[in-house]
Amino acid sequence: MPHKCDAIEFLSREGESALARFARNRRGVVRAELRFETVFNRSAAATNGEPRESTESETAAFGIAVHVADRNGVVGHGQCGAEVGPIAHRPPKLLAAIRAGLEDAFERARLGAREKAAILKALGPAAKSLAATSDSRARPIRDEIEAIFRRDPRTLKTGELGIAALEASRAVKSLGPAIAFNAVAAMTELRRELFISTEGSVISQAFAFSQGDCYVVAQDGDGHQESYDTIGQQRGFECLAEGWRGELMPNPDLNTFCVGLASEARELAAAPVLKPSEDEVTVVTDPHFNALVAHEIVGHPCEADRALKMEAAYAGRSWFLRSLADSEVGHPVGSALLSACSDPGLDGYGHYRYDHEGTPGRRVIHVERGVFREFLNSRATAAALGAAPNGSSRASEAWHVPLIRMSNTFFMPGETPPERIIAEVDHGYYVCGHQIPSIAESRENFRISARRVYEIEHGRVGRLYRAGSVIADSKRFFINVDAVGNDLRLVAIPNCGKGQPMQVKRMSNGGPTLRSRARLGGG
Amino acid sequence: MMLGASELAGFVRAAARALRGEADLAQFEIYCSSAEDRIARLNYTSDIACRGLEEFKSLQADGFQVRIVMRRDPHEFGTAFAAADLSLDALRDALARARRAAVVDPHFPGLPQEPRKLAARRAGERRGLAHIGDSAIASAAARILAGALATFRRSEASVLERPGLVIGGDVSVIRDRIAIASSGFADLRSDESAHFSASVTALIEALDAKGTATTLGANADEMRRATAMLGRDAVRRALELKRGARPPSASYRVLLGPQPVAEILNYMVMRSLTTGAFHAASSAYQRRFGARVMDPRVSLADDPALRAGAVHRRVTCEGLPARRVELIRDGMLVGLLSDFYDTHRLLTDEDRADKLGPDAPAGPEFPPLSGYRLGEGGGRRYDAGPGASGTNVVMRAREGLDERELLRAVGDGVYIGRVWYTYPINGQRAGDFSCTVSGDSYLIRNGAIAEPLAPNALRVNANIAQVFDAPLAIGARPRSVAIWGSPEAYFVPAIAADGIALGEVGASA
Repeated sequence: MPHKCDAIEFLSREGESALARFARNRRGVVRAELRFETVFNRSAAATNGEPRESTESETAAFGIAVHVADRNGVVGHGQCGAEVGPIAHRPPKLLAAIRAGLEDAFERARLGAREKAAILKALGPAAKSLAATSDSRARPIRDEIEAIFRRDPRTLKTGELGIAALEASRAVKSLGPAIAFNAVAAMTELRRELFISTEGSVISQAFAFSQGDCYVVAQDGDGHQESYDTIGQQRGFECLAEGWRGELMPNPDLNTFCVGLASEARELAAAPVLKPSEDEVTVVTDPHFNALVAHEIVGHPCEADRALKMEAAYAGRSWFLRSLADSEVGHPVGSALLSACSDPGLDGYGHYRYDHEGTPGRRVIHVERGVFREFLNSRATAAALGAAPNGSSRASEAWHVPLIRMSNTFFMPGETPPERIIAEVDHGYYVCGHQIPSIAESRENFRISARRVYEIEHGRVGRLYRAGSVIADSKRFFINVDAVGNDLRLVAIPNCGKGQPMQVKRMSNGGPTLRSRARLGGG
Repeated sequence: MMLGASELAGFVRAAARALRGEADLAQFEIYCSSAEDRIARLNYTSDIACRGLEEFKSLQADGFQVRIVMRRDPHEFGTAFAAADLSLDALRDALARARRAAVVDPHFPGLPQEPRKLAARRAGERRGLAHIGDSAIASAAARILAGALATFRRSEASVLERPGLVIGGDVSVIRDRIAIASSGFADLRSDESAHFSASVTALIEALDAKGTATTLGANADEMRRATAMLGRDAVRRALELKRGARPPSASYRVLLGPQPVAEILNYMVMRSLTTGAFHAASSAYQRRFGARVMDPRVSLADDPALRAGAVHRRVTCEGLPARRVELIRDGMLVGLLSDFYDTHRLLTDEDRADKLGPDAPAGPEFPPLSGYRLGEGGGRRYDAGPGASGTNVVMRAREGLDERELLRAVGDGVYIGRVWYTYPINGQRAGDFSCTVSGDSYLIRNGAIAEPLAPNALRVNANIAQVFDAPLAIGARPRSVAIWGSPEAYFVPAIAADGIALGEVGASA
């Protein structure tokens, strides 16, 4: 079957000169960037033990950014994104579409610079912060990164994905009438990306993604439980068909995963609802639950665009930075046992080598033994923070604008076995599996619901409850961490939303078992 | 540049001709869309270097989707799509993929059949918005920013050395066109729509103050008028809300403004008001169809033809007439949003009686009036599957009160003007939600607005029943609200409720 990688090869050869010609022939162009991608995707879904749908698609798209300075040095920025589909196969048409996109982005950059200049003229010093933007410099990079997979998404036998989803859904249904509904989806994808800039970078990266999702509704009398979860790897279909035994992010095969989730939902539907606690109690949180804590309370507020207030109208600000003069950088935000980082170099769902500005990704230590250290950044936000770019600016698809995103973001492991962390608790709760977050605007407070909450009595895990959640002020929760497990695990997060319009991004989050204090919310 | 209506129609007509010649197909549908979002995103920070217009961008998505039903089995169907290329070559490629991807779903009801021609109506020209260019959008964004900065400059706060003024938000214009032909239709069906939304958040961090302003609509004049005021309104509100109170955790009487009511409806209620949710046993109103689920004064409907609405659609993305759906009438659950598949699936569900509950009328009907193929920005997309979605969601109340009467009904409590991150914390069906009060809020004392509330000082922990079942009072006048990431536009009143648990954020600091 033909696929669109020929367009990547064509643009790798011709794109740079096309971009350079455009920049030379337009007055004021400071720089221009082209991102191009082709995606081959297969997916299948089954509900209640019956096939629901199956698709096979090849898509191609580009995103363009043009930065223009007027005569007085006022800089404007314009972007354009478009899906080009099969015309990616036809070089003249593809180049024509890209040229049109460059013109649109250029015109927007000029309009932006013009409007900005008018505001600066009208308001003078009252708008001075508008006049002072510059991005960190970029080192030109030329590189090519291949995807890793055993079962190529493009050559997978038709129907194999559908059979996997169907069998898993049937297995869930066979658990009995307590399973009121189930939906299982399986997906495998090969994504190839190209980044070209007038600063001399030509970077080609390819990724294989495979993902399984399960949603279950279980009923038991008046009790009910909705559970969903995802397994995923940057690998081929083999990680769903056979499971994956990687050390950081292992997963069972799709069937075992779905049956496990559904069995748990059935048990939970019959379990009592957790009663809210009036005061703080001891909570031991497992790696799956901590994945969502790392995501919401560390990862998102470590995004420099949030910290610098650029997301104030949408996803909020950051509890790590009140202003450039008043931030948590260099100050304690948690117990000395607590460290957290983002590392795109790890073999997780958020792995990559270069971000979508052509900057190499690297490990970013956010919290080191309780002290806040560093934000995830882009070239523009790195300049505003006086930091070096760390390669964290990425778009979910080429037609979207890159935003600052997590990669593999997690709490770092300690040395205590999780069994001992639980055994040391006289009375408390063992909180397992994340469900749904509700987060305060700067992520300084949270309520995150769990799939399962067990009471701990005299060091032993006891009664199971459903509809439990952890409610805490973020800093206090982190300061109160008094045990960190040696059982680091990452979890595939398939659907992190950010931006306007919303971009949905894949990444990993995780951590080891933690012990702290918090209030418990119930149903 | 979007594709023209005639280009879409021409391709759909040619594709339908080609598909009619495929002997192995019992039914087919060809859906073609052209959609464009143009967005000018604002970011101004007084104390941090910024771009002002942070993103000025367009997202273009044109393409088609083909759905086929095989002659050998009426339950065997396949789907495939292609971007940008409206050619018969691309159709042939998509058709091959649709055949390869075909599955046998025993519940697949076939494609919608409506042989009669739809009455011809003028396409949804949105008074200039369909043709608006980048220059007008840039000007609108600049007006917002200039208005905000000028208003702030005239205020006492402008003398602060580091005021921490933040202006964020966007001006977005969303346009789409579709054409659809099917073996089940006698005619080719087409539609187009355009609407804008603009939202501004103004923070003055030195004063711990936040104000917001939003607008949405369907014509260019409205966009020009509204954006002229939006920046100054948001800053003015922020200035009024400076150095707000941080009340302690307790159970409060609250007046929820239109934004919180819309947010709770969007994340907690609307997703429960679909045939798909009832079939999946995940609706917050499971087993309560036909029963009273809200206060008898409350009615809720979705209306794609609402004259004052922002989102106008006359044809669904399944080619059926888009019509008003009455969801809750006088507090009773009487209707559900649905697409063609989900209508059939719920009506043939062997557990339907249990899922709908004892109050459901005999032989309920759930006409598929709301099947849309939507992208993240709310525009219609060629690569999305049909799903039930609202358009203009309107809540009305009998015996509605004006604002002064609503405040009197609360007496002492909290006016909540804006909430953030509202999620079904224990799953959709439980109806429990949690969110934080993020701005535009005040204490209410002796039936009147008193001192402002600090933003992000309180977390709401409640259940939808506490808001909608027996409210203290309901506002008379629905106001328009846009919810970030939602395809629907909301037109809802304020609602006063008792016994809402508010937890102090940062109490442990």
